[in-house]
This record gives sequence, C-alpha cells and structure tokens, in this order.
Amino acid sequence: MEKIKENAFVKKIGFNTLVLLCVMVVLYILFAIATPLIKTNASFVSYSRIVSALNYAYFLGFLALGVTFVIATGGIDFSIGPVMFCSALISGYMLTLKGVPLLVCLLVSVLVGTIFGVINGFLVAYAGLPSFITSMASMMIAKGVGSVFTKTQSVSWPQSADANGWFRNLVKMKINGIDIPTGLIYLIIGAVICSIILNKTKAGRYILCIGSNREAVRLSGVNTKKWEMLAYIICGLLAGLAAIFYVGAYTTVQPGLGDTFNNEAIAGCVMGGTSMTGGVASIAGTLVGVLIIALLQEGILAMGFQINYQYIITGIIVLVVVYADLRSRRRRN
Amino acid sequence: MGDVILTMKGIDKSFPGVHALDHVDLEVRKGEVHALMGENGAGKSTLMKVLTGIYHKDAGTITYEGKEVEFTNPREAQDAGIVIVHQELNMMGHLTVAQNIFIGREYMNGKLIDDKKMNEEAKKLFDQLGINIDPKETMSRLTVGKQQMCEIAKAISHEAKVIIFDEPSAALTEAEIEELFKIIRDLRDKQMGIVYISHRMDEIKVITDRVTVMRDGGYVGTLITKDSTKDDIINMMVGRVIYEDPKTESQVAPDAPVVLKVEHLNAGRMVKDVSFELHKGEILGFSGLMGAGRTETARALFGADPKDSGDIYVNGQKVDIKTPQDAVKCGIGYLSEDRKRFGIVVDKTVAENSTMASMENFMKGIFIDKKKEKDTAQEYVEALKTKTPSVDQLVVNLSGGNQQKVVIAKWLVRNCDILIFDEPTRGIDVGAKSEIYHLMNELVAEGKSIIMISSEMTEILRMSDRIVVMCEGRKTGELGIEEATQERIMHAATLRN
Repeated sequence: MEKIKENAFVKKIGFNTLVLLCVMVVLYILFAIATPLIKTNASFVSYSRIVSALNYAYFLGFLALGVTFVIATGGIDFSIGPVMFCSALISGYMLTLKGVPLLVCLLVSVLVGTIFGVINGFLVAYAGLPSFITSMASMMIAKGVGSVFTKTQSVSWPQSADANGWFRNLVKMKINGIDIPTGLIYLIIGAVICSIILNKTKAGRYILCIGSNREAVRLSGVNTKKWEMLAYIICGLLAGLAAIFYVGAYTTVQPGLGDTFNNEAIAGCVMGGTSMTGGVASIAGTLVGVLIIALLQEGILAMGFQINYQYIITGIIVLVVVYADLRSRRRRN
Repeated sequence: MGDVILTMKGIDKSFPGVHALDHVDLEVRKGEVHALMGENGAGKSTLMKVLTGIYHKDAGTITYEGKEVEFTNPREAQDAGIVIVHQELNMMGHLTVAQNIFIGREYMNGKLIDDKKMNEEAKKLFDQLGINIDPKETMSRLTVGKQQMCEIAKAISHEAKVIIFDEPSAALTEAEIEELFKIIRDLRDKQMGIVYISHRMDEIKVITDRVTVMRDGGYVGTLITKDSTKDDIINMMVGRVIYEDPKTESQVAPDAPVVLKVEHLNAGRMVKDVSFELHKGEILGFSGLMGAGRTETARALFGADPKDSGDIYVNGQKVDIKTPQDAVKCGIGYLSEDRKRFGIVVDKTVAENSTMASMENFMKGIFIDKKKEKDTAQEYVEALKTKTPSVDQLVVNLSGGNQQKVVIAKWLVRNCDILIFDEPTRGIDVGAKSEIYHLMNELVAEGKSIIMISSEMTEILRMSDRIVVMCEGRKTGELGIEEATQERIMHAATLRN
C-alpha cells in the first residue's frame, strides 16, 4: 500500500483521486447491471447515456472548480448555482429579446458571475462577513436579480440549427451524425488551468496557506485579504462560465432556481479531497468528484427513479466525506 | 490567624521532561491571607491545580480540615469548599449575573429554570459581601471589577472555606482593587483561608499575612509579611544559581547606529507609553512577568495589532507601520511566541513555509520557481541544522525545535535586519535551545539586530546586551548587561507605576 502511495505517478494525481476513479468505474458497472433488472427494456450501457451524463458534468464541473478555491481558503460559497442562473438569464434575455450579439452575451454571462464574485469576495475578505452568511444573501440576490431582469419569464437560448446556435458546439458537436462531447475538452482545459493556478502560482499558494493558518500568513507580511478575495472572484468567474455550458446543454433557464447545483458542486469538491476546513484542495479530485455526481444523476434517472433520490444520496455523501476528513485531521493533530 | 485548615506537604509532580513540583509545602490557616509568590514557571499554578484535583500528585499529602484528602476533579474540591477565582473570568457575557453565578446548578421549578429564585439568592450573596450589583443585569455590561466580584460571589455560594485568588488584581483599577481588598478582609474576618497569587509586591505587603515563595518548582520558604521587606521576598524569588555563563559585557560597539527607535507607543490596555532604541548588532532583552505587555508591544510594533499612538523610526526614517506587510517591508521579522497559531502553516512543507514571507523572490514569471525554493530551503535546513528528512516534509511532522527553526528560516530567507524573537526557546529541548542561542549570536555578529522577549531570567542574562523591563504595559526599567542582576530585574518587573 505504502509503495503504491510513493509511486511518482500516483503522487502526481493523488491517491485519493485514484480511489475515486475506481469508485466511478464500480458505480458505472453497478448501474449497468442494475438498470435492466429494475426497469424492463432499459439499458445503461450506451454512448448516448455517457454523453448525457457528461452534459451534466460540464457546468457542474466549472461550478465545482470555482468553489474549490473558496473552500481552499476555509470559506464557502452557496451562491454559485443561482449566480450561474442569473448569468444565463441576463445574457439570454439580452440575446433573445434585445438582439445583442452572441459573443457579447457570452462575455456578459462571465462578467455577471465575476461581479458576484467580486462582491462576495470583498464582503468576506475586507468587510469581514462570514462567507456562509454572505453567500446565502447573495444567493437570494442572484435569484431576485435574474427574475427582475427577465420580468419573471424563463429564457430559451437558440437551438444549434438557429442563427445564433453555434455556441452549442462548445458542449457537443455533431460530426457525421455522431455526438462529439467537446465540452469535456473545455472542462479538462479549465481544470488544468485551475490546477496550475492552485499549485504553481503565488495566488494558489497563498489561497491554500490562508485556509490552513490565516494568521501565520498575515504575520508573514502577506496581504491575506487580497488573495482571499481573489478566490471568490475566480469562483464567480467560473460560475459565469458554467452558465454558458448549462444553456449549451439544456437550453431553457427559469428564474428563481439553481440552489440544488450549489450542493452538488460542493459535494463533488469535498468528495475529491478538498477539506471543508481549508488548506487542502485537489483539482483533479474535484473533477472526478463531479463526474461521479453526474454519473449518479444519470444512473438514477435511467433506473426510472425520481431525481429526488439523487439529492438524498448526494446529501449523505457530503456528510460521510466531511466526517471522514474531520476524523483524519483530528488524528493528525 | 486561627487553626490550620489546609496543609500541603512534600507535593511532587512531574510531567514528561519537567519536574514541575519538587516537594513543595504550603500551610493555610483560617482567617489568613496567604500569598503565593514566584516567577513565571515557578510552579504556583501547578500547585493550585494539584490542590483542586486538575492534576494528580505523584507524592505528598494534602490535609484539609484535619483529614487527608485527594480530589480527583475540581468539582469535588468545590463541593468540599476549596474554590479558585480565576484570573481569566469564566463568565458568559450574554447571561445575567444570577444566571452566571448558578450556572450548572440552576434552581428549578419543575422542569423550568426558576430565575426569580436565582435572583433572590444572588441578591443575598451580594448583601453578604456588601456589594451592590443587580442580579438581573447582563454580565457583559458590568466592568471587569464588578465581574470579578461576581466570580467571588459565585465562589462564596459554594460555601467555600478556602478561596484561591489567581492574580485577581491584574485587570482592575485602583478603586476596584480597594473594593476587592475590602471583600478579602471581610472574608478573612469570617475565618476563611485565602490563598493570594500575585506578582505585585506592594499588594502583598498590604493585604497578606504570610508569604510562601516558590522557585523553579521548589519550595523556598514562608515569611511573616509584616516582618519582612520587599527585598527579602525578591531575594527568595530569584536566588537561583545561574549555570550558564551570563554575558558580562555588551558586545555592541559603542558607536553602533540606532536601527529601530520606538517612541511613546500606546496600544490598548497592555502597551502604555513604551519607548526604546535598538542598536545595530544588539540583542535587546525584554524581561518581565506574565502579562507585562511585552508580546503586545511587539505585536503593535509589527503591525499585527492596531496601535493607538506612537512613532517608529527604522534607520532614522520615520515609518508608518499599519500591517505586518508594512513591517516586513521595513525589514522587520517577528517570530511569535505561539508557533502553532502564528508561525507555521501545518499543511505545507518545510520549503513552502521557508519562502512564505518572500514569495516574490521565488517567481519565474507568474509561476513559482519550485527548484529555487527547494534549494534555498535546503540551504537553511543545513545552516540551521533543522532535522527533517527533506524539505518536502510537512512541518506538522517536525518537532517543536525544528518547527521553530523553520520559522526562523522564513525570516532569514526574507533577509530581515531587525528580528523580534518572542520566547524563542519556549517548549524546545535543551539541545535545540543552545543551537538557537548560537544562531542568535551569529546573526548579531553579521550585523542583524534582535529584540528578544523572554520570561526566563537565565536566558535574558545570558543573551542580552541590554535589558528593557516591563510591568503592566509600561517600561519600568532599562539596564545594561553590566549592571543587570536578577534582583534588579525582578525589582523593576514588580514595580507598579
């Protein structure tokens, strides 16, 4: 066991992440066996199901990547889901009803998310508000702003065949009648960039250190407020980006929703080995964690259960993982 | 003074690596106020913890009201009538006075708490003590002095026969102390036995009947207060033999320039009008008893805590230090007394901790130059003889002394010219201790300057070129090493302005 952990490749990816990958494979096999047994004439093993699960993983993945930075500082952001919807509503409204060019709308989407990130970050880092409360409040605000902007109407983004539909190629492309999951490429690129920021730049170093021992970092002469705020900005920006991948896959956005995605993104993040108390984070882990959540969702739907079962399972996963993290930290100290 | 109510005889207690109490005796009579004195770490608190059952003694006997006793927890001691009034007030600010006094043993009316009854009972206690506090008042609205009165009332409500006051006057004003003394005298007249722990020599003379002095975990002797002088007591407190050679003369050149000048620094309750100078190549010792305000002075100077007023000059230039960032820019580094909380980042490696304060020197574009980082960390691991398997080791896995070296390395990598070492050898074994002394001497030889805060007299006398003594937030003495003696330092450290 120790030998495996010391292997250079295993160290790079993270032992925890490899275990998680195995869990994912086992889960896939379980669904493959269980689905035909529970629901007649249903099958889980098909290419379209994989594409469908991935559709769910893209936007969730960007949300989770972002919130990984916030959790690494020891904070939390419960506003990401509604902020993503707010971005999608505002930009979608401008595109479909105001005729603003698509490219501008996509930028607006990212911008809206970033603004929320700046506000959250400022309130937490500089005004000293607890992140829990701050993000709860901005979740409400994001829901409200989205609704007000669209006059409580849902917004439907154009289909791929429509004039402004090319952005859907970000999520999947049809080549010779086969769906190519292009979104996966962007998600992986996003994860690689996040991983580089977290592990190889000053920002990432300080974000992790702040999560581990804020006072020690401050007394080293570091501007902790600045770096903490940056974590929230990254998180907001990625929520805005996630909006594009959401509408690329699901077309329609309704006002007043989005909070379930917070929990799923945070679940993916902590499952991947990011510690809720801060200081320890794994981007690769987050990515695999999100893929597992997406797989769960797809599997539960395939077996003909209500989506509510997935919420129950996700909730239990969060409790178990956070408890395990707490236990291992107590042992170490 | 009446009959003996409490006798502790030959009390012995060891912790791993420390002989905390070495056959200590203490005798308390009914109707006496008995002072327990000693420097930091003399063992006063440990002795009281053994008495009240927080620690278990290794040897010795405790006789209370004629019977040998051994309490296994504070609750048992309390029930028997031995209570402590702590220095740190253990009060819940949002509850009322009465609710605080009866916490954990509330008067009940069926399943509900009977606040009315508690208020009545609290009122009775206050009347008994002759103090005027409304039991229905919210605790946090009272002054510190009044809160302390509530602690005393709480102690009395346990039908105490022996009350231990642990530095009760530390946070009180002159008028509040007067009131406290009045109550203590009342309690004495009611034939209670009172143990009074304090560092303030003047108070000892005023309020106590006898004094027991402890030193380095041992019993030194007991004096009748009115027959002894302040000097007698001080001599008993410090009369230890200094094994390691104290410094005999300053190593600083007489014309060494002033690198740091602090003028009239004020910060909160603990730093009052502190001024001093630090010369190039000097180790300036900061001595004083617990709570003298030395760490607070350092933190205010470093920008870790806000300061109210005062000027700071670095190399003759006036500087405005508001945050640790500003201080670090001025070339000041601060090694905290509490390594775990303020020094190291436990989830990070030796290398990552070493470069924490000087990241910008380890960048290649936007990326961290990890090779350079590791090489530099390795250099300092070797220079400081830090024992670690590699620089990739997480600091949490290192021993205390080696963690300390990592924090020192952090400031050396930053190349700070002014270093503040706050209790640099606390919780560090003897070997590592002398290595850190050696290192400090090397640093000043290279022209760096060090402020060393230390509660160990031997450390102060061995390392310092000059000594600033503080008491209750004020500078009460400044001595060149040539004229410094334990007695003189202790004199200044107990001087109340």
